[in-house]
Amino acid sequence: MELLISNLLHGFGVAISFQNLSFALLGALIGTAIGVLPGIGPVATISLLLPITFGLPATTAIIMLAGIYYGAQYGGSTTAILLNLPGEVSSVVTTLEGYKMARNGRAGAALATAALGSFFAGTVATILVAASGPMLTQVALSFGPADYFSLMLLGLIIACVLAQGSIVKAVGMVVLGVALGLVGTDVQTGQQRFTFGIPELSDGIGFVPIAMGMFGIAEIILNLERPESRSVLSTKVGQLWLTKEEFKRATPSVLRGTVVGSFLGILPGGGASLAAFGSYMMERKVSRGKHLFGQGAIEGVAGPEAANNAAAQTSFIPLLTLGIPSNAVMALMVGALIIQGIQPGPRMVEAQPDLFWGLIASMWLGNLMLLVINLPMIGMWVKLLQVPYRFLYPSILVFCCIGVYSLNNNVFDVYMTVLFTVFGYVCNKLKMEPAPLLIGFVLGPMMEEHLRRAMLLSRGDWSVFIQRPISATMLGIAAFALILMALPTIRKGKEKAMAE
Amino acid sequence: MKLKLNGKDMASGIFLIVVALAGLYLNMDHSLGTARRMGPGYMPMLVFWIQAGLGLIVCLVALASGPDPLERWTGLDVGTLVGGILAGVIAWKISPSIWSFFGQTYNGVGLGILVGFTVMAFSAGWKILAIICASVCIFGLLLEQAGFFAALTGLIIASCLAEHTHTKRGVVGLTIFLLVLCYWVFIYELDIRVNLWPQV
Repeated sequence: MELLISNLLHGFGVAISFQNLSFALLGALIGTAIGVLPGIGPVATISLLLPITFGLPATTAIIMLAGIYYGAQYGGSTTAILLNLPGEVSSVVTTLEGYKMARNGRAGAALATAALGSFFAGTVATILVAASGPMLTQVALSFGPADYFSLMLLGLIIACVLAQGSIVKAVGMVVLGVALGLVGTDVQTGQQRFTFGIPELSDGIGFVPIAMGMFGIAEIILNLERPESRSVLSTKVGQLWLTKEEFKRATPSVLRGTVVGSFLGILPGGGASLAAFGSYMMERKVSRGKHLFGQGAIEGVAGPEAANNAAAQTSFIPLLTLGIPSNAVMALMVGALIIQGIQPGPRMVEAQPDLFWGLIASMWLGNLMLLVINLPMIGMWVKLLQVPYRFLYPSILVFCCIGVYSLNNNVFDVYMTVLFTVFGYVCNKLKMEPAPLLIGFVLGPMMEEHLRRAMLLSRGDWSVFIQRPISATMLGIAAFALILMALPTIRKGKEKAMAE
Repeated sequence: MKLKLNGKDMASGIFLIVVALAGLYLNMDHSLGTARRMGPGYMPMLVFWIQAGLGLIVCLVALASGPDPLERWTGLDVGTLVGGILAGVIAWKISPSIWSFFGQTYNGVGLGILVGFTVMAFSAGWKILAIICASVCIFGLLLEQAGFFAALTGLIIASCLAEHTHTKRGVVGLTIFLLVLCYWVFIYELDIRVNLWPQV
């Protein structure tokens, strides 16, 4: 406990430096902006800004990128409540009750609930990250290569089970991602694999061209293909204060949402959108105001908004302790760390205490800033919504192109981005999820290394994966999850849940 | 009885299988090694076999999970796709002999992609995809020789063709705004190494 406090103090010492504070603020501002704007999400934004973070120290870079992710959770609710449009995927369920509240003249109350609930959940989740981090790290240090391999396999499989749509296709995308990760020089023998004699490929396919092509530019094309009519703002924000009655109703929902969100955030494939959804389902079943759902129940805003923010924080746990990304945003974080020369994994807490504790402290500070950014300054964000998409997308494109080029000062990366744009577009048309591919691409090279090491230690005996208890447990859970999803009744249940 | 073929899944499955087979073919160059001492070809072999298997499962499931047909392609869509690929390959192969600039680095490839997408932009189905991708290629072609400002202007103006509600004044205003913003962010603040003006 004392150690935790002294560590946290150290973290605040790092986070409060002028540079880190200003980049946390910048991240929070950018996050809110893209959260408010429909059509551009945190994955696209973070991949867009990855090249820009090269020049920054690692801690500062991660602090800013993290700010974008949780900032987006705050911003997304504004659009959901005022426009009945989800600014982010994670605020889809907020539109259901939040917009109704706005129609009832309680837009201000809904916004305040969302922001306060998010802040509370963010605080709790941050403490959770701080407390569980070192503990899990201790556990992870006893892992051998075989255990690691199984753990990553488990992570990949759960990410697929929880992904939208067909599981087999999602697993297929993961494997395709792993296959893309094979391109480049084989680390142990130095042989070139699948490079077609192109020197630029000997270091592997760039992470940024894939992320920017599939998530940034392909998104632009898809958004342009289905023009959305953004209704002109007619709702007044009104009073930002909650009545006593509303406060009483919202509090238990926020608490429940925090718990649900914290838990679902840790799961691979989880993250903010799943958490918000889970919490909404729960509130509709158990909250006191469940009969009011559909007419603007404050519980339906408080729970999901708390949950999505809690999940945005706790999804850092597997990344910071095990080095395993649980969703596409975390995969980008791995990319950012590797670019900075830091190998994510259990040794990071020890080797990079500034980064670990500084990030945790900055998360709390960032949440505090977001409260200020979102509530009193709400009018500014509403104005931002009036910028039409036709002005936004060329701006995104420009940043993508310069960013990609500046990676290696080579136009090759620009053309790779075009290639992955087309690929991302095709994937979308075939309903193949790009997120599992990115996670597979990041984990693939690590998995190969652990597999080879494990097999070398076991002298080529495959049974090592079921002989080691930790590894066997992981594989067991993975197999169980797959079998569970193959059962027709559960699959139907999931499909129904996803469709709602 | 209705046909319940899921076209999207079927196409995805075939795609996975084709990539896996291509990968297995290319992997024949790499030594496999043994399970104890894996060579560079071992992991790719595992990955591509698993991928081929998954592709097969996706195809089998697709037989009954539909109907979810692919979007209809018009004759023009098919024609411009084939024409675009042909024109692109020809431009890529021939251009270096016309102007040595296209023989340097990846400029020939860039020109090929640009020509291909320009052809595709003529059919309504590809229009937005083609214009956005072509505008990125324009950026790539212009950046090193014509400089930062010319490349950005080309990119912005070309990409604006993808949206029919743009006005001339809006595009000019947007271009000037973005040029100033990018100069400030990338040149002044981040100091990336790139030519600002055309090289003589």
